[in-house]
Amino acid sequence: MLPVVALASLSAWTLALAPSLPRLLPFALVSPLPHDASAEGHHVDELLRYLTISTAACFGVLMSILLVALVFHRGRGRIARYTHGTRRRDRLAAVIAGAVVLFGIDAVALVRSSSALRASFWRYPDGDPLAFRVEVTGQQWAWNFRYPGADGVFNTPDDIVTLNDLRVPVDRPVYLQLTSKDVVHSLYLPNFRTKIDAIPGSVTRLWFEPRETGKFEIACAQHCGAWHYKMRAELTVQDGADLARWLQRAAEDAALRYEAADAEAHDGWAWTPAP
Amino acid sequence: MSADLALAPAGFWRRAVFSTDHKVIGRQFLWLGLVFLAVAGALAMLIRWQLAHPGIPVPVVGGVIFPASGGVVSPAAYTALFTMHGTIMIFFALTPILIGGFGNFCLPLMIGARDMAFPSLNMLSYWTMFAATAVLTASFFAPLGPPAAGWTSYPTLSTAVGAPGVAQTMWVVAIYLNGASSVMGAVNYITTVIRLRAPGMTFFRLPLTVWGIWLASILNALFVPVLAAGAVLLFFDRVFGTRFFVAGSAIKPGGDPVLYQHLFWIFGHPEVYILILPAWGIAGDLLAFFARKPAYGYKVTVWALIAIVVLSGVVYGHHMFVSGMSPLLGEGFMILTMIISVPSIVLGVGWLGTLWRGAIRFTTPMLFALGLVTVFGVGGFTGLFLADVLSDVYLHDTFFVVGHFHLTMSAAVLLGAFAAIYFWFPKMFGRMLNEPLGKLHFALTLTTVLVTFGLQLVLGYAGMQRRLADPSAYAFLRPLMPLNRVVSTAAFVMGAGQILFVVNFFFSLFWGPKAPANPWEVGTLEWTVSSPPPHHNFDVIPRVFAGPHELGNPVMKEARGRDYQVQSEELPG
Repeated sequence: MLPVVALASLSAWTLALAPSLPRLLPFALVSPLPHDASAEGHHVDELLRYLTISTAACFGVLMSILLVALVFHRGRGRIARYTHGTRRRDRLAAVIAGAVVLFGIDAVALVRSSSALRASFWRYPDGDPLAFRVEVTGQQWAWNFRYPGADGVFNTPDDIVTLNDLRVPVDRPVYLQLTSKDVVHSLYLPNFRTKIDAIPGSVTRLWFEPRETGKFEIACAQHCGAWHYKMRAELTVQDGADLARWLQRAAEDAALRYEAADAEAHDGWAWTPAP
Repeated sequence: MSADLALAPAGFWRRAVFSTDHKVIGRQFLWLGLVFLAVAGALAMLIRWQLAHPGIPVPVVGGVIFPASGGVVSPAAYTALFTMHGTIMIFFALTPILIGGFGNFCLPLMIGARDMAFPSLNMLSYWTMFAATAVLTASFFAPLGPPAAGWTSYPTLSTAVGAPGVAQTMWVVAIYLNGASSVMGAVNYITTVIRLRAPGMTFFRLPLTVWGIWLASILNALFVPVLAAGAVLLFFDRVFGTRFFVAGSAIKPGGDPVLYQHLFWIFGHPEVYILILPAWGIAGDLLAFFARKPAYGYKVTVWALIAIVVLSGVVYGHHMFVSGMSPLLGEGFMILTMIISVPSIVLGVGWLGTLWRGAIRFTTPMLFALGLVTVFGVGGFTGLFLADVLSDVYLHDTFFVVGHFHLTMSAAVLLGAFAAIYFWFPKMFGRMLNEPLGKLHFALTLTTVLVTFGLQLVLGYAGMQRRLADPSAYAFLRPLMPLNRVVSTAAFVMGAGQILFVVNFFFSLFWGPKAPANPWEVGTLEWTVSSPPPHHNFDVIPRVFAGPHELGNPVMKEARGRDYQVQSEELPG
């Protein structure tokens, strides 16, 4: 019976470590989380860290009790304690465990989550004159980005439209509105800890604030067909002057490409503030 | 004996094929579930091959399965693989094994009834399921390829916009038939438990297995029709050109793809509990049986199960946190979801309390039950990461979700199913399974489950999305490819380890030692009749005097020299 117990304990301890594996694995001496390049992403990372530690601790305690029982309370020779677990202290054990999880994990996570969401992720920069606005249209299997152009109004002849190439300024809120031409996609920014679905027939929104310049990956997170895995775009964060130069060139290109008769290309929409 | 002969149908077809006997139907569901478990498991192996070695031909079988691409899993084939893997595992493997198989077999025997309340409906339920599997199997060979919109089949990918082939329509029909079968079964189980309990078998004397299956049936009856409604609307969109889920435009009125997501998850979240509740019930019983102690806080456990059942119906929104949901709803669903952790931890306390100061016997079913408890522990705690909107927005649609739900509703349920098979096999087939082989099977399964799905959590934490035919298409995922290969290796060992089970199952079926009536020395009613039970189950309907886990009572030990009290016997003295 000993090998079985040894195996059980080994497995149990592997399991005990599993929730905290993200932080323990040797290949990830640094956290396995992708580099965080956003102003708000640290809220997510801190919440993930708290959840990892608190759930691993709870799980470790439960597994230890399990292991002690498996090792010491086994065997046909023993006389099991005849109890239905209905005494006051048994009920108390359940209440304490419930309270630890409710107040120690749930409530803390809830408060952290809600406050970060209300303070940033859900507080769309509608009135912010600095907000850099882009309309995003997903399609099988690419991302179209539409900038309002010189007039600041979307779906006008001076719009700049790019394919799989999103360029935004550093240290300013980037405010995206999204829809899809065909199926549901999901714009996923791993380095900015956020994502939002792009849904045909409706407009969803998302904002983030890049903290550093550089190139980052934009992914599709929602299964959208055979070539879903190739629905990749590039996000370039630039400082204001570089971006202005690029926008100038892009505006000239867009003017050359503009075709008034091509109704399908005019897939922008009037910018709508968050409800 | 004469009564048995009089009641049992004599002809082969009525006895073994179109039988109304719950025991035969239970075995039919078990066989069906096991066959499709093997199919879906094989699909998982192909998925793991592709994720470990994208673009490299599948060894040995590749040329046969994917002749057009020279044995390579093409991106289109990959989407079909994960779609069919998920669909089959959930609807055609785990559900038939636990609810169809053990629900049918155990329920009447455990409550002291001679059959289900509606035996003919029971047979219809099985053959409806059989029809569903036929349609789904045929969809593999449909022109334009098998269904490939994911097991969730979100529109508009699942409408003519994204899936023009007939296969997706067949998928919808199969899901509808499967749902019809589940609802027929659910109505039957609910009625049977309410109406056919033996005298003295009060609700609080029901084995936890019965509680689990009964509560799962209630969820089935309430929520599967919602999925069926979604399936019907999707069928109309595909076949009759309606636009329930196809968005409109300025000149063409239309519907809303998100409506389907609501319908799907109103069903989909309870479905998680439909799968795990029977497994929880089985684990609760087995831990008590093999710790030789009554279940700790039985009534509290039952109330915790009921609380989870109630909550499971009002938390589905956490599957849609990134669909542009209103913040008000987001916060509401976040709070409701997190509250589920409280009754869940109460269940955990019950399991540990049952083991504490027991006289634990490490039989194979017990090991699988312990495995379920540990695996569900990891799965349950990682659920908290996904209940939070803030962390879910990052983790949504990543492998963290894949790891989490495989641990909770797949691996834990599968371990529960194995526990049930090792435990009731003697009663079902009259022969004992081989214990050492079973333990080896357990060791291989548990360790590989932990490595496979535990590391999937890490992959998701590192940001890897689900359903990518080739993760190395992204620069930020390329460093994760070695880890993907580790996961795949563990999965291959897991798959190979199941051969032990298949060998054990078939060998024992024919050559295993004959099972006594009560090999595990426990007191629930199914063990009071012969193995396998006679056609009519009980010569005399038993009268019930005790709870399901009356083990270790000193009075019994003194008077009868054994540590268990059968539910249908009075305490001596």
